Amino acid sequence: MTGLRAENLTLAYDRRIVVEGLTLALPAGRVTAILGPNGCGKSTLLKALARLIRPQAGRVTLDGEDIHALPTRAVARRLGLLPQAPIAPEGITVGDLVARGRAPWRGLLAGWSAADEAARAAALAATGLTDLAARPVADLSGGQRQRVWIALALAQQTEHLLLDEPTTWLDLPHQIEVLALLRRLNREQGRSIVTVLHDLSLAARFADHLVLMAAGRVLAEGTPEEVLTPGALEDAFGLRALVIADPVTGTPLVVPA
Amino acid sequence: MSRGLSLLAAALLLACLLGLAVGEVLLGPADLWRGLLTGEGPGGFTLRVLRGPRVATGALAGAALGMSGAIFQSVLRNPLAAPDVMGFTAGAGLGALAVAGFGAGAGLSVTLGAAAGGAGAAVAVALLALTREGLVPLRLVLVGIGAGFTLTALTGFAMTRLPGPEAMEAQRWLSGSLAARTWGHAGQIALTALPLALLTAALVPALALLEMGDDLAAGLGLRVQRARAGLAALGVALAAAAVAVAGPVPFIALMAGPLARGALRRAGTAGPGAVLAGAALTGATIAVLADLAARAAVPGVQLPLGVMTGILGAPCLLWLLTREMERGGL
Ligand SMILES: Nc1ncnc2c1ncn2[C@@H]1O[C@H](COP(=O)(O)OP(=O)(O)O)[C@@H](O)[C@H]1O
Ligand SMILES: [Mg+2]
Repeated sequence: MTGLRAENLTLAYDRRIVVEGLTLALPAGRVTAILGPNGCGKSTLLKALARLIRPQAGRVTLDGEDIHALPTRAVARRLGLLPQAPIAPEGITVGDLVARGRAPWRGLLAGWSAADEAARAAALAATGLTDLAARPVADLSGGQRQRVWIALALAQQTEHLLLDEPTTWLDLPHQIEVLALLRRLNREQGRSIVTVLHDLSLAARFADHLVLMAAGRVLAEGTPEEVLTPGALEDAFGLRALVIADPVTGTPLVVPA
Repeated sequence: MSRGLSLLAAALLLACLLGLAVGEVLLGPADLWRGLLTGEGPGGFTLRVLRGPRVATGALAGAALGMSGAIFQSVLRNPLAAPDVMGFTAGAGLGALAVAGFGAGAGLSVTLGAAAGGAGAAVAVALLALTREGLVPLRLVLVGIGAGFTLTALTGFAMTRLPGPEAMEAQRWLSGSLAARTWGHAGQIALTALPLALLTAALVPALALLEMGDDLAAGLGLRVQRARAGLAALGVALAAAAVAVAGPVPFIALMAGPLARGALRRAGTAGPGAVLAGAALTGATIAVLADLAARAAVPGVQLPLGVMTGILGAPCLLWLLTREMERGGL
């Protein structure tokens, strides 16, 4: 079994169960978007996929191996997570922040290697940040800052990349910029990308595969056309909507009724 | 070494030279130089016996406190989270007093008493502050302030049990004092604080990840809880080592980190390793200068070091408080 899979996963905080009996296969080499109302367990699922929380039942497998049977650093070399609210240390520059993505590859006393530098340079180039490397992160715009975090995750050089709401605080042009970047990374570098998104129509445009969640369960998964139906939207969000073909791309466009 | 750290090291060197030269007997540059090089002349005795051990103990204790404060400020991502604000040094003071007051004497047992008291206070504060969402830094600070008052009150009560002269001596030590320090004290803090500082240096990469939030740090392969527990234990131990030789001196641990960060940022960037080293240098400088001021402020009277750091530190605390309020951290 290749790729990232959740098998019969039950996740809880203390006693409170948030996700129950969830089974999901994330297609390798694709862009997958996870959708669903606030509080339905998207972030919790993402953390479990990244080995940050231990499931109460079931398991997460990476290429067939239970992720909790693998060492922390070994997982961090194959799977990167960009959480919803990472904190930029005070005064840090773009280049220094991106360099921290190399952590799982560096020994305790090892210096900064040529491979580290190559990975950082490639990550900066892929995100169009090479010229901004010496600038403090705090001076950048919201869209640029989000690209810095993505560059950090790229420097980690993992085949799987999980992102929690990478577009939520951005204006529309910057949302599109970030999503186009993610798709380009998928197409050009073959990375499997899983991202939580809120904008349904943008998700349909940029993702190959959609997972629609509600109340800790998967309601529907498949291509955007298969998932974004008026019935599923009503079930997941209680939203009455028309779904028409996007006049630009032909992908589903959700129009609230 | 970065330019910022070089500047802080130069400031410490200058503070130490001033601390050695100034006192009831003022040493001229020539006497000071000769005393430092040969140990002879009017400078020799002053340096060897009167001021050398005092300045060395103060610098090392200040460095340990500064590093301890910077560890907690980074780990908890809150500039108010210093071991003196959170009551850990008060706990260490009570622990040391319990050992010293019950006749066990000085040295290792006092250090162990301070470490036990500091660790006890830290664990108690952490347990009291624990919520369902884990440890919330601000809650930890507020619970710690309360615990500090309680521990200080307990210490006051314990002092009433001591005979008069010993109570006087204990009172002086409890306000933080470098009076009558010997090379034994300097050696003790060197032997305890240096290994702790080396262990802390090994955890700097972990600190760099923790700064960015638990989830990102864990995603980058860090065992977050273990790293945080290790850093907190080192922070408590460093503070306790300082308290054992200098008493629970207030505010050095709180002030050193923010001042070092300010200085380092003005001179370029500041990674967590530079901040820790800078906080140690700054803590040492504050301790030596504050002790100098305490000796020289009122002619003929030696104020305890802690009185001086209190005078310096209270405005610093207010400044940090207002800054945090403006930033919405409170
Ligand atoms: N650290 C936590 N401790 C306790 N409950 C949590 C925690 N994080 C999230 N929850 C709860 O779990 C549920 C799912 O949260 P989350 O996975 O963040 O949802 P989503 O990302 O879909 O908005 C919510 O009800 C939330 O309140
Ligand atoms: Mg979420």
